Order: sequence, then C-alpha cells, then structure tokens
Amino acid sequence: MSGVVFWNTLKSHWRGALYWGIGMGLLAYYILVIIPDVDALNQYAEMAATLPPVLMQMLGVSDSATLLAPEGFIGFGFFGYALLILAAYAVIAGLNVTANEEDEGILDIVLSLPLARWRLVVEKFAAHLVLTLGIVLMAILGMWLGVQQSVLDLNMARLVEATLNMLPGILFMIALTVFISVLVRRKAAAIGIVAGIIAASYFLDFIGKAVTNDIVQVVQKLSFYTYYDSAGVITHGLNVGNIALLLALTVILLAGALWFFNRRDVGL
Amino acid sequence: MAANPVIQTDNLTKVYKTGKEAVVALKDLNLSVQPGEIFGFLGPNGAGKTTTIRLLLDLIRPTRGRANIFGQDANLNSVALHQRIGFLPGELSLWKHLTGKQVVNYVASVRGDDGRMVKHANELAEQLDLDFSKKVRAYSSGNRRKLGLVVSMMHKPDLLILDEPTGGLDPLLQQTFNQMMRDARAAGRTVFLSSHVLGEVQAICDRVGILRNGELKAVERVDDLTHTNFQWITLRFRDAIAPEVVAQVPGVTEVTAENHSLKVRLSGDFDPLLRAVEGHYIVGVQTKEPTLEEIFLAFYGNNGAQKS
Repeated sequence: MSGVVFWNTLKSHWRGALYWGIGMGLLAYYILVIIPDVDALNQYAEMAATLPPVLMQMLGVSDSATLLAPEGFIGFGFFGYALLILAAYAVIAGLNVTANEEDEGILDIVLSLPLARWRLVVEKFAAHLVLTLGIVLMAILGMWLGVQQSVLDLNMARLVEATLNMLPGILFMIALTVFISVLVRRKAAAIGIVAGIIAASYFLDFIGKAVTNDIVQVVQKLSFYTYYDSAGVITHGLNVGNIALLLALTVILLAGALWFFNRRDVGL
Repeated sequence: MAANPVIQTDNLTKVYKTGKEAVVALKDLNLSVQPGEIFGFLGPNGAGKTTTIRLLLDLIRPTRGRANIFGQDANLNSVALHQRIGFLPGELSLWKHLTGKQVVNYVASVRGDDGRMVKHANELAEQLDLDFSKKVRAYSSGNRRKLGLVVSMMHKPDLLILDEPTGGLDPLLQQTFNQMMRDARAAGRTVFLSSHVLGEVQAICDRVGILRNGELKAVERVDDLTHTNFQWITLRFRDAIAPEVVAQVPGVTEVTAENHSLKVRLSGDFDPLLRAVEGHYIVGVQTKEPTLEEIFLAFYGNNGAQKS
C-alpha cells in the first residue's frame, strides 16, 4: 500500500530526528546569545588577527574583519561546523534506508511483501528528507530565539537562508550513504567508505581555502563542502548554482542506488 | 488434463561468484508444484534449498533459467505475486524494537489490510499460543518462529513458502504446525516447504523433491520414499549373542555385534526381528531414524541414479 513505508519510517525515526533538531537548535541559540555586544566581536577579531592567515583560512574565516560582523561570527561559530556535525546524522539516516535491514536479515521479510524495491528506497528517503527538514527548521527556531535575545541587529532572513543552505548538503550525504550501502552491501564497509569520503571532502575544502595553488583549487572543487559555502551564503545569500548542483548530485546518487538495488541479489 | 502448476522452474540456475571462485548453488532445476499440494523440498544443509526459495521470491536473481509462479515470471511480476505468497525464512530476523502486534500491523498495512488480516493473525496467535504484546527482542527463538508463521499466514496466501519451518518449535507445536498445513491444503492452498528432516516431510507432504549438491535428484511421492525407509535398531541383551541369529531375518541388511548388543539396519516390519531373538533376554531397544544422506543412498546409490 502506497505510503506505508514512508509513514512507518517517520514513526520509527521522529524521536531521533527530534533530538538532533533540539541539539542543533540549542547550538544555534547558544552561538547567538554568546555574542554579548559589538565590543566582544572586536575582541574576537583582534584575537583572530594575531593568528596566521593560513590557520584563519582553514577555520573558514577569509579575513579577521569578517568576525567584526555578527553574521561573520555566526558563520564561523555555527555554519562552519554544522554540516560536519550533521554528517553523522546523514550517515545514520542513509543506513536506515536499506543497509540496516539488510545487515540484520530483515530485508528478506520486507521484500517478500508486495513492495517494489524502488518504492522501499524512495519512501524511506522521502521520510528522511522530511525528518531532515524538521531538524533544519528546529535549528532555525533556535536561531530565531537567539535573535530575540540578542542586542545586535541581526539579519534573520540571511540566517534562515544560511540554515536552509545546509539541507542540500545533508541530503547529498544521505543519498551518498544509500548509494554506497547498496553498492557494497555490508553496513560496516559502507560506513567506512562514506566516512572516508566525507572526511576527504572536508579536508580538500579545508586545504583549498588555506592554500592558493592552482592544483589545490581544482581539487577543492571535487569536495561537496565547497558547494556548501556557508561563509558565502551568510554574506551574500543563497547560491542557486551550488544548491542545484548538490541536489542534482543527490538525485543522481539516488537514481544510481535504485538502479543497483533493483538488479542485485539481496541479503547475501 | 493436469492443472496449471503453481510453481514451475525451467533450468533454474544460480552461480555465486566470490572473487575468482564460482560456486554453483543450484543447477538446472526443473520443478513443478501442483495446486493444493504440500511439496517438501528435501536436502542436506547446503544442497540449494534456500537458494531455490530465494530465487522464487526474487530476493536473488538467477544466473540462468527462470521461475514461474501462478504462471507469472517470479522476477518480472514479483510485487503482484508476493500479494499471494506467504514466506517464512529459515533464519528469521524481525524488527527487535517492535512488539509482535506492531510487526503484524506493519506487515498487514503493507499488504493493504482492511482489518481481516489482523483478525486472522490474532486467531493464528491464539492457535500457536503466542503473546503479541512482547517486543521481538524479548521473544524466545521458538516464539519468534511462531510470529514468523503468523506473519506468513495472516493474509491466507494461495502459496506458502516455508524454509525449515519447524526449527525451534517444540514437538507439541510441531503437531499444531502440521495441522495448520493440512488445513491450508484442505482450503486449496499450496505449500512449498524445505527441510533436512525426513520425518518432518513424511508427516505432512504429498510429494518430495530431493536436492543434493544443487541438483534435483528426484521427485517422489512421500509414500514411495517411505517404502524405502529403514531404521537403525540397537538391541541390548543381558548375555552375548551371535550376529548370525538375526542375519537372515527379512528386512535386515546390516548387522554389527558389539559387547552384548546387536545393531541392525531394518527395513519393513519389526516382528520378524523380535521373533528371531525370542529366548534371548532383551535389556533394551533403541531405534534411530536414518539420516537423509543414508535414505538418499538407499534410494539412489552413490552416483544418484535410482536403484531398481
């Protein structure tokens, strides 16, 4: 019956997503309320100015003056790390699509039901998309609460944009995990490979920001973190091209997962 | 005119490739299961029974050949076919964090239940003495097996595919299970069950397919197979006894003497054997069912060709 897997997945995982949402909301709230006033930002900027520029670049701060603006500080203190924190959630969510049930042998029972393999993947992914959206909305809520208590004049619309900007990156990581787990079958192997890809992406982006070398700059483009560009979004607003690219990659990975899953043996 | 078979396989073959090595799990299986029969798929562990079942359910894909169920390709029409099939895997895994009731409700909702499946599931649970309120992780292996049976039968499927169904069930429940299978047959349903225990198959099946090393060696009526059946009998005497005493007894083909015991291989009735040892004080009698391999060898010989 259509939608049963979707609703069941929501029912099974909403609690976990709620905890993640509360965590991200609290973190966002905390980052906003720890900025007491403009003087404090000046102090952060002065401190940052004493650090080597390469180290600042690696931490996602292009210029110590960036920290003078509250948005710049939030970009550094929250958005720079949020996607890395949510990578753990994305991998867990991606494993929930096929890997966990296949690893535990439950998939035999599930696929003996009148349920197409593609439907299982699509409905579960759709449920995790909704849950991820919930987490992002809770982060926005935390941010809004922080803005209410802040003495600074903050651009809430830009903060919402920057928070929503996390969504394509998280969906990409979920789709990546689904694809890899469908491909390699073994949950442990899938976790290892996906963790490796995410870490490598973060590292490539990290290095790319710090080193002005043509080859490094080109290699940096292989990292999906480059297209997340949290600092850029909080300063200039959403980059439609980056979002479209991450969403397109998500769709491609999902289509690839469906293609492989539909053709391969299950549960061996 | 014969009815259309419920299961029909044509040269169904599965080769597993592990690195450079290829293992033939099933080779050119040609099998036909008729409507309303209980068909036993008999073979030792590793013979290819589970592979066959997984191919029928489209969990794995054949290397060669095809399987048809209710006249439809098992791969191309798997979703529609699964509506009419109930399946119990040999190694049953279910969602450990759910209660039995939640498992039943979920499976029923995927099957598009209008309330009748859950109602029937409750009836089956009562028949099997299963408490639905516990979480799956709290079930014993026997109770988990019962829940698997309920899930496989709750929608009254036209075809039941059961992989080693009675493993973990106590003897009393095995009787209940046997009766459930007979009831399913009486209702016109077809049962395809695998087993490596001859006695289990003999108790309920109409026909048996014997699988060995991935090849179907024969399909026999259970009655014919039973006719070939034999037992190992150990007679324990108070005093020493010569094996010659029973060597000529009809049905006795092998005799081994050890201490005060005689171990004989007996086909047919007991009476001639007991008459032959009349006058000797018998301390104890022990009977042992032959292994499937022994039955197979008795029936087909070492090369798998049927003995005349």
